[in-house]
Amino acid sequence: MFVDKKITETHHAQSPADTAIGHVANTDHGHHIFDVEFLSYLSTKISSFFGISENSMFFINLGITKHVFVLLFISTLMVLSIIGLIRNYISHKNNIPNKLMSVVEMFVVYLKDDVLENFIGKNYREWASLIYTIFFFVLFANISGLIPFFDLLGLFGKLGNNELLSNLSHGGATITANANVTFAIATITFVAFIGAGIKKYGFIQHWKNLAPSGLAWPLYFVVVPIEFMGLFIRPLALTLRLAGNMMGGHIALVIFITFIFSMADSFGAWAGFGIAPFSIALAVGLTMLELLVAVIQAYVFALLTAVFIGMAINVDH
Amino acid sequence: MNPLLTVDLGLYVWTLVIFMTVLFVLKKYAWNPLLDFIEEREKDIANSLSMAESAKSDLEKIKDESQKILDQAKKEGKVIVNDSKQKAEDAANNILEKAKVKSDEFIVDAKSKIEIEKQRAIKEIKEEVVDLSIDLASKILQRNVNDDDNDKFIKSSLEAMNIDEAKS
Repeated sequence: MFVDKKITETHHAQSPADTAIGHVANTDHGHHIFDVEFLSYLSTKISSFFGISENSMFFINLGITKHVFVLLFISTLMVLSIIGLIRNYISHKNNIPNKLMSVVEMFVVYLKDDVLENFIGKNYREWASLIYTIFFFVLFANISGLIPFFDLLGLFGKLGNNELLSNLSHGGATITANANVTFAIATITFVAFIGAGIKKYGFIQHWKNLAPSGLAWPLYFVVVPIEFMGLFIRPLALTLRLAGNMMGGHIALVIFITFIFSMADSFGAWAGFGIAPFSIALAVGLTMLELLVAVIQAYVFALLTAVFIGMAINVDH
Repeated sequence: MNPLLTVDLGLYVWTLVIFMTVLFVLKKYAWNPLLDFIEEREKDIANSLSMAESAKSDLEKIKDESQKILDQAKKEGKVIVNDSKQKAEDAANNILEKAKVKSDEFIVDAKSKIEIEKQRAIKEIKEEVVDLSIDLASKILQRNVNDDDNDKFIKSSLEAMNIDEAKS
């Protein structure tokens, strides 16, 4: 909360909406946390290879923005913690899992029994790793976005005039609220479910599977375009569902908090204090809801990936 | 443009690369070992359950069998007891019968012996009586009766004695 105050003080003239958006969005393109020479060199090289100019919207900027930093941070944390937990659990075979491992195992067994075996079928092992990785990746990203440690670090950075730490407070910490990140994961889902079909039925038969057999031939002129569009709408829906859910919750959260400061701005400090309990109560409630949404959205992403792969593999003839 | 919907291909590429790396690392070191472990555990549980089930039915069978054996033993015991009772009774009856037969034999034997002794005694007594009566008669007559007289006398006296004997 202190951080929000700090930020609204520095962006005094901004409207609550701008504050909220600034709080969720990634830092600007040029705003890197670390300046790595090699990465800027790589960015220009790759971009020019594809013929994209530096001022274009599609310029591939590989610099470490805040979201890239959070992405690296969360992936490292996730890989280390999950491998640590699982290795520890498996190495003493008769031991009872510890608390964290119980949670991981609960998700793993639930996804295996209710999603993988249900939608993909007997040979689920081939796709299990993808579904699990998607679930835990999204879950870690969603939940870490709810813990304001970057804001806290940024506060220390501002108080101590540390440029690196205060850079960390800029922009949102929830990478799954960024459509670029969710679109990347959805791309992997897209490649996975097309790859699954091609792998099982061969390239031509897979595309034939798109249209259900046994229809009257004029209907194919309707069904085939719809199915084909559906193919591309699926990853887009995945992208926007996850990003929208995470973004919306965080914007609402920030806006509830900014009530305090806009009241203080308009009616004086005491008005701000007066509304603070309501704002904070709302924010706490919303955070609880967000916690739920974080798990549900991770589950939905994993579930839908499994469903799409299952649809490509188990075709009704 | 709205900063929430900025196209950021750099971030997109980063996410792809990081996600694929995470996927391969976790697949190798976490998910596959864990799934192997879970599947093995599930197999173990299923095995133990079926084993428990078969053990239960085995126990049931054994229980039935032991009950059967017990019943059989009871039946056999009863038969044996009845048999031995019968045998004992038979033996007892046998012994009794034998004893009876023997005692009867003894009695018959004794009776016949007694009869023989009696006959002998009577015969002796008769001879004695004859001698005595001859003595007596010769003394009385003071002479020797001839054989004819003798025989007559003896006969008459014997007849008299016989009558006496039958009366007594």
